[in-house]
Amino acid sequence: MLKHKAVEIIAAHRKEAISVATMQAAAPWHKAGQGKDFHVDASACMGSASSLGLGIALGAPQKKVIVLDGDGSLLMQLGSLVTIGAQAPRNFFHIVFSNGHYESSGNQPIPGLGVFSFVALAKAAGYAGAESFSQADDFDKALPGILGRQGPILIDLAIERDDAKPAWPGIPMAQMVAKLRADMGF
Amino acid sequence: MSDTSTAAAEVFADSVKGVLIAKSVAATGATHIICIPDTNLKSAIEALHGPGMPKMIYACTEDEAVGINAGLYMTGHRPMMLIQNNGMLACLNTIKAIALDAKVPTFMLIGQYGRDVKLPIEKNKLRVVRLLEPTLDTWGVPHWRLDAEKDLGNIQIAWDRAWADLGPSAAIVGAPSN
Repeated sequence: MLKHKAVEIIAAHRKEAISVATMQAAAPWHKAGQGKDFHVDASACMGSASSLGLGIALGAPQKKVIVLDGDGSLLMQLGSLVTIGAQAPRNFFHIVFSNGHYESSGNQPIPGLGVFSFVALAKAAGYAGAESFSQADDFDKALPGILGRQGPILIDLAIERDDAKPAWPGIPMAQMVAKLRADMGF
Repeated sequence: MSDTSTAAAEVFADSVKGVLIAKSVAATGATHIICIPDTNLKSAIEALHGPGMPKMIYACTEDEAVGINAGLYMTGHRPMMLIQNNGMLACLNTIKAIALDAKVPTFMLIGQYGRDVKLPIEKNKLRVVRLLEPTLDTWGVPHWRLDAEKDLGNIQIAWDRAWADLGPSAAIVGAPSN
């Protein structure tokens, strides 16, 4: 599945959910117009998207939270799967863009490529559900139903390697934090 | 009176009752504590599970705690962290990116684990004890010591500073709470 296609599908089904994006999913998410409201990027803190999303999900249980994570990024705070499983926020949806590489730094392979499974790890950590998709059509058909279930749910997307120059939204995280607080009425 | 006997009797940090630390924490109005436990704060953590206390959230790492703290802040809550000196060093990048650069109030109650209270901090054997405060200074994180019951007010002072600056601050508990 192409990264941009995955972003397009998530955007189409997002509705009123708060979003958190990181690494090379962030720029396409903004390009798709999804970074304007109820959104924050995890910038310059690789690995923190899941933890930011958990805090938001616990703080705003009335809103769904969709985290667009990276595989290398999630590996940096892999313990967050356990923390999320323990807190069990029903409104938490964790989508991992798995391309098997550290795309931002030149597509070096991630550790354990082809050995570990985020789906298995998430289930073992206490997520309510975890699924993987490699075909965009399958993901598109399944996503509305998944978002209608109780979380926390992890979705592992098999994303094709992208050798394009890395892109960044270029918006200071402080600005996005203040904007999300304003969107939330604070 | 000899200088030697005076020095041997001197204690640079006294134990503070955990219930008093917990009361001071609750008085700040904190809504959540994201906790990676510390030995010095064992009795305080126990007291923080009592009625009327902030909601306790245990995380696996201090990096996670910084992120969870920020998420709760963005949704209108007033969270804080409870960690150990070693943990502070472990999460410097997220402190840099989220608490400092993204301007998120991040009050940290830090246990000075391993401190020999009969020695000035700068003469302690453990590197983490000696270098915690210089590390915080390097990153511009304001901090206050909680070395005796008379210092309990520093929790509120450090809390207020985090919210005034929209950034990190710390209160450092120097001896095991009792």
